[in-house]
Amino acid sequence: MPEWLRRFLLIDLIQGMLVTFRTQHPKYINTEQYPEERPRVAERYRGAPRLNINPENGETLCIACDLCAIACPENLIVVGSVRNPETRRKELTTFTYDLSRCMFCGLCEDACPVDALELTQDFELASFTREGQIWDRQMLEEGPRPSPYR
Amino acid sequence: MADTFLDAQELVLNMGPQHPSTHGVLRVILKLDGEKVLGTECVIGYLHRGVEKIAEHRTYAQFAPYVDRMDYISAVSNGLGYCLAVEKLLNAEAPPRARAVRVILTELNRIASHLLWLGTHALDIGAITPLFYTFREREEILAIFENYCGARLTTHAFRIGGLQYETYSGFEEQVKRFCDTFPAHVDEYETLLTGNPIWRDRLIGVGLLTAEQCKDYGVTGPVLRAAGVAWDLRKAQPYSGYEQYEFEVPTRSGGDTYDRYLVRIEEMRQSVRIIRQAVERIPEGAIMAKGMKVIKPPVGEAYVSIEAPKGELGYFIVSDGSIHPYRVRVRPPSFLNLQALEVMAKGSLVADVVAIIGTIDIVLGEVDR
Amino acid sequence: MSEQQPSKAAPKPAAVMESQPWAGELPENLRTQFSEDVPETSQYAGQPYVVCKPDAAVAVLRYLKEREQFDALVDITAVDYPSREARFELIYIVYSHARNQRLRVKTSIGAASRPRTLTAVFTGANWLEREVYDMFGIVFDGHPGLHRILLPEEWTGFPLRKDSSILGMDQAWVKDNLGIESGQ
Repeated sequence: MPEWLRRFLLIDLIQGMLVTFRTQHPKYINTEQYPEERPRVAERYRGAPRLNINPENGETLCIACDLCAIACPENLIVVGSVRNPETRRKELTTFTYDLSRCMFCGLCEDACPVDALELTQDFELASFTREGQIWDRQMLEEGPRPSPYR
Repeated sequence: MADTFLDAQELVLNMGPQHPSTHGVLRVILKLDGEKVLGTECVIGYLHRGVEKIAEHRTYAQFAPYVDRMDYISAVSNGLGYCLAVEKLLNAEAPPRARAVRVILTELNRIASHLLWLGTHALDIGAITPLFYTFREREEILAIFENYCGARLTTHAFRIGGLQYETYSGFEEQVKRFCDTFPAHVDEYETLLTGNPIWRDRLIGVGLLTAEQCKDYGVTGPVLRAAGVAWDLRKAQPYSGYEQYEFEVPTRSGGDTYDRYLVRIEEMRQSVRIIRQAVERIPEGAIMAKGMKVIKPPVGEAYVSIEAPKGELGYFIVSDGSIHPYRVRVRPPSFLNLQALEVMAKGSLVADVVAIIGTIDIVLGEVDR
Repeated sequence: MSEQQPSKAAPKPAAVMESQPWAGELPENLRTQFSEDVPETSQYAGQPYVVCKPDAAVAVLRYLKEREQFDALVDITAVDYPSREARFELIYIVYSHARNQRLRVKTSIGAASRPRTLTAVFTGANWLEREVYDMFGIVFDGHPGLHRILLPEEWTGFPLRKDSSILGMDQAWVKDNLGIESGQ
């Protein structure tokens, strides 16, 4: 088709519009309705950290080996432990995780030999203060308790 | 430098650093004579985070997440380059299965990077629609990344010596499904843009860069290939098993913005071709090389570069035999490509500067590091 | 790999890079052309490199570009070795499209010396040399506009030198701007 005829018949415009109108069908809608509908994130999603507890006896799985703290590039994990004089094992006392510096690289969960520390699918991590980003052991074990904004 | 700009005949205009079409925080000082650009000066460094200094204070494994944050559009490629460089120092190689998965993810990342470039570049020039379509397809790629490694943008997908994560069930199917649907979407973009008279008028003959100028400035990647040099590190110095795959290196001869657009469109199709071949025959076996618990390369130095979506991405690592790198130098493709802006923009119109900045495909996280 | 390292010998001999000699036509040519200006042509991990005298660096690179087809400049960078007499090692990486080969040209310079600029040979050296100046404080003689590129103009110090510490920068900033001792 000669160029002038193409232009006269607005072929390019019609072709372009066809592409546009083909995607008008509701099944092509990709918008996520986030606050109303919570999106499903992937199973391996690296989100909020969690310190797993043994479901049978409620004790922590963490053996306070400090490997996560060593692996962390940002040095944001502090593991506190005392040595139990009877069993001669280290026992976890405190565990602090500074989420404000975390880049969710996953090196800490890779380092954990007992799968105690895990990055979970929870992604709603906002808080009203900087201190709220520093998670202690209780928060890591029980998960965050978001306070709704009114 | 500043006093030469105080000429009454010329108008000095600041473009950026908060200008939407500079794709980040690039500031360009334009020296204008009416609409005509007499000269440009780039002011960069607004996003400088000192990545190379950070590297000296991290272990080899700990530094890997940081490289994702340089070119955050193609984090997977950055990670691959870094892992290959350290593996070179260690004289180790990732197992075949890891290499195949690496190729698939890197090529997906190349498509994602080109899609983001295409959408924003078209948006700069005035075509709003392609942005929504390119982001729709990019979303599919990011979903694959998220399923594979748990992050969409700063993936940290690879580890030194191989992979940390085994592929998930349904990985091959999802990748194949993407490969089946994607070429039709590329046709859609081409319907909207390639023959579009406005698109052609805005791009053809804009931002010319010859092959000699490219080499002189160290420009690599699609910009170099659009100037007629069929040079692609995946072909020239294959890494990670690229020699097993059949693909072509698209080139054009004009060296203008339109040619760069066509080169990148064709690269996306070729990437699909590579992914198809790779996903058909992912070997079984280990995904991690042996002896990668403690990464402590012997004293030495190595420069390893890969073909990132933007061009040659190189890592020059000096090891002093400890677990920390003594020096990590990143050779960012965007940094050297951006330098050629001064020759590309000289003599063009102000409106074309936007098109030229877009066509270089810069990511300021990588320029500034 | 890590096993090859001498693990804990008390007076640890300074480990050196175990490079191999690099044979071929190109190193021969360089040696005959520049004789004592190019004291070493070696390779490490399969990557060839050339060590040259500081004054000869630009001449070597010009020769490589014009006579040996090394037509693309890949990178210019430096490494700081504070314990050495010639403190900085300046590294040029060039690539030849015709040979499909990459070559590193290394030269050691003292803290006070001013190497010649490469911008006359490769235009692309402009920003790379500015970055080296910005990070290491190496002044390139004859550079068309040598000022800071990534850091702000008023920045003091050169961050990639080994004696500039991240912690020190942080403490100085806190002291100057907040007037208190940094808790870091």
